[in-house]
Amino acid sequence: MARPMPDAPPVTIADRGTGASMLETVARVAFVAHCLLNQNAKVDGGARCPGVYSPLVEVLRERGWELEQMPCPELAFTGLNRFWAVREQLDTLAYRRHCARIAAAVSGAIAARVERGDEVVLVGLEGSPSMGVRVTSSDPGRGGRPEWPDGAPELTPGRGILVEELLAELERRGVPAPRAGGVTHVLPVHDPTAERAQLVALLEG
Amino acid sequence: MEGDERGFRVALVAAELVNPPAGGLDALAVLEAEGWGVVQLPAAWYPDDVAAPLLEHVAEHVDEFTRHGYDVVLLGDRAGLAEALRALDHELPPALPAPQTRDELEAFLQSRRTVAPRSAAS
Repeated sequence: MARPMPDAPPVTIADRGTGASMLETVARVAFVAHCLLNQNAKVDGGARCPGVYSPLVEVLRERGWELEQMPCPELAFTGLNRFWAVREQLDTLAYRRHCARIAAAVSGAIAARVERGDEVVLVGLEGSPSMGVRVTSSDPGRGGRPEWPDGAPELTPGRGILVEELLAELERRGVPAPRAGGVTHVLPVHDPTAERAQLVALLEG
Repeated sequence: MEGDERGFRVALVAAELVNPPAGGLDALAVLEAEGWGVVQLPAAWYPDDVAAPLLEHVAEHVDEFTRHGYDVVLLGDRAGLAEALRALDHELPPALPAPQTRDELEAFLQSRRTVAPRSAAS
């Protein structure tokens, strides 16, 4: 079900306006990782603010983008009391099926948006085993009693599991993959100014 | 939850309140200021076959948050939400069906008691 990560930059969305009538308003819509509007979904110790991650909302609003929140794959599967995890701990057939079910739901919304000519981008969470776009977390040796401090060693180039499933589902439906990038606030190298610049670049294509 | 800043309060929010028209109530700004997280409901114009799968996931999120004692409220409404919640044996949460002003929304959110989250171990 997974798709290899291409070396090329993310694909640009299809031409705007192809499906919109004169009476419809063409929108610019960012499909964002769940936790960026709801930090309550985070793993214990991971919430950076009470609820809404405002730096993302500010950038989107300033440029006239609407927000569309995706479901959190880890919240419903492993729950609020889950441990911090890397990809290998989550990458089971059952979790893939769960992510595929979310991907099907989100793809339906993206397809409806694209059909009416809306411009769509995807904003994930870099470093996440599920929602990473360019950076995920990986360590084949992790398991058993937790003894690994949170930090940089597990971070690695690649996509999270839900992002892989979502892009694969869009491809199956013939929906062009949206431009995609991620918020970096969980990375040790996080720089708010750089994060903002990267988000602006993503939105401006 | 050392170092964790979550608010333990979650609002299910109609898409039209997350993305308000010009001059409309900016619910997202109020929720951010009041320390609430957002679970966005599908846009009203989505057809049922698009909205229903998204609402299933909303209901699963509600189940997990309520099971752990988080406060959950509803701002606005969305057709199909009640059915999705009922499928998991949940009722609609306390609601402000059609907030019109910032003051009204702030008063509703501030009227909610502060919850004491329950861990799975308790």
